[in-house]
Amino acid sequence: MADLPTSAERFIQGVLPENPVYRQLLGLCPTLAVTSGLKPALTMSVAVAAVMLCANVMVSLIRNLLRPHLRIVVFTLTIATFVTVVDRVLAAYMYPMSKTLGPYIPLIIVNCIIICRCEVCASRQSVITASADALGQSLGFGFALVSIATVRELLGTGALAGIQVLPPAWPQWVIMVLPPGAFLTFGLLLALVNWADAARKGKKG
Amino acid sequence: MENGTPRRPGGGLKNSSLGQAWLVLLLALVFGAVLAAVQTNLSRIIAANKMNETLDNVPALVWGAGATGRMAEPGRAVAITAGTLDVTVDSKLKVIPVFQVTLDGALAGWVVKAGGQGYADKIELLLGLDPALDTITGLFVLEQKETPGLGNKITEAGWRRQFSGQKTHSPLVVQKGRIAASGGIDAIAGATISSRSVTHIVNQAVSAARANLTTDAFRPLERQ
Amino acid sequence: MDYVFDIFLISISAALINNFVLYYFVGICPFIGVSRQVDMALGMGGAVTFVMTIAVLISWSITTFVLMPGAPISRWVASFFVSPDQAAAIDLTILTYIVYIFSIASSVQFVEMYVRKFYPPLYKSFGVFLPLITTNCAILFACLTVMSHIVGVDNPSEAWDLGRALALGIFGGLGFTIAIVIMAGIREELDLCDIPGPFKGAAITLIVGGILAMAFMGFAGVDSGIRAALNGMP
Repeated sequence: MADLPTSAERFIQGVLPENPVYRQLLGLCPTLAVTSGLKPALTMSVAVAAVMLCANVMVSLIRNLLRPHLRIVVFTLTIATFVTVVDRVLAAYMYPMSKTLGPYIPLIIVNCIIICRCEVCASRQSVITASADALGQSLGFGFALVSIATVRELLGTGALAGIQVLPPAWPQWVIMVLPPGAFLTFGLLLALVNWADAARKGKKG
Repeated sequence: MENGTPRRPGGGLKNSSLGQAWLVLLLALVFGAVLAAVQTNLSRIIAANKMNETLDNVPALVWGAGATGRMAEPGRAVAITAGTLDVTVDSKLKVIPVFQVTLDGALAGWVVKAGGQGYADKIELLLGLDPALDTITGLFVLEQKETPGLGNKITEAGWRRQFSGQKTHSPLVVQKGRIAASGGIDAIAGATISSRSVTHIVNQAVSAARANLTTDAFRPLERQ
Repeated sequence: MDYVFDIFLISISAALINNFVLYYFVGICPFIGVSRQVDMALGMGGAVTFVMTIAVLISWSITTFVLMPGAPISRWVASFFVSPDQAAAIDLTILTYIVYIFSIASSVQFVEMYVRKFYPPLYKSFGVFLPLITTNCAILFACLTVMSHIVGVDNPSEAWDLGRALALGIFGGLGFTIAIVIMAGIREELDLCDIPGPFKGAAITLIVGGILAMAFMGFAGVDSGIRAALNGMP
């Protein structure tokens, strides 16, 4: 079997080349749901990063004790526990944000990104590599969320994170903060990423 | 084997079903302990957050926007008691959250939590009433999911101020166009249904309060 | 009559007005991944509806009888160890997410066994998609919505009973099916079109999804309008 990627490689891969949202198309539910504003998007990224890091470390610690057919059960249990903790911590210390994010925090449990990383990386490699992988993927996820949220909030309300950026004369494109705007923004940004990737490959080859 | 790392001493554990069962059990216990710790430490804070979200808005609803000054006056004791009121609507028993506000022991006003269907989803409001239940003293929108930019404007202070000072002897009516008659609420341009929903919820809450709310009928929540 | 009316409103709200895919953004992964052909989409939608109904049934039962504050079974068990007053205050909601995800996993297992036994060709055509329904956000979302109507209410009398919960489960799944089948129909047509390079695959699907979401926005306010008409609101 080929050599598994090193920590540094895992980290760098996670940010752009194997970006969980733009390249792997995983974890799309929160991507569309919480990106109507910059603050919810950032909070969600941090929450996912926390859960992914803890889950990866935990799974990596017990990877040699676990038989293959029990692993999904253990992954799920681990992730569900950490998501419960994150959810409660958010409700205790950031209550208004917790209400804004609503049911999308518990939905981190079924976020394909985390289970995928546990399966692909954490269950096979050391704690350091698993952590690097988690951090890289979270960074990539955060980058994707922030990119979509910036476009949606800026065009939809003229503000970024609540701070007015565009002049008040800007006719707010309300559709941007509504569900159709999420789909359209993400679709167009995805096309942009695909185009940039193809252009880069074209230049190389 | 999956990778090239040398086999850990836990190899025996990996190969026995009993070992696996013990592992899952141990994990469950560890996670259970973590969750129990989170529950004991944070549940009180979360419950307080929920309560404070409403309590923070109560003084302004009774005394208007300058209420914080009132609260800080030396020698004045403001007390807010959370409680419930039993109301029978359409032969169904409803329990309405009510807050009793007293200043130096004398009743200063009531705040009633009311809810109902808006344009998009449920709207929840806090409605301030004077002690005689004669006048509306304030309105605050707790929860709404109306259209951003249109129905959303029911949360704006300017629009909500229309309700302050309105008399409660007859239901409020929504009017389109700038007719600021007493008993009339100016609708938000482009959000007539949201405006009507809020007014309807207010009217219902007012009539329920006028018919049922007395100091005796008010049941304070038990302190824990 | 009131009850039937309520069920009706919950149903059309879950299926059309607040469609799970096009309004709440849950179940997007199969929406983009599986919606290439109408019959696959229909099968996926049917499976999700079936699993959602069972999952909502299990989660409602467990929440009402074990998890919610003061639930009967937990209270009875706790009364063996602590005083009755303390037992009445027992609150197991911290375990909600773990219990839900495992009940969903078991529902999927159960459905898988059932389909394998009674509809083998269908089982073969599903391939790997059936176990993947476990990670379908829509099902967990349905369970969480039901929970929020039981645990988060001010009025204990307004907590959802089994009928309302099942209505949400069944019609939420049907709404998902409607969305995914429409998308599949559109994509079958798109396959014959000349799509620019960067847009091929997920990007054009998302843009079509955006237009679909816009179309479904036309349903907004329908339930409040019906309610108003029947309650005589001006």
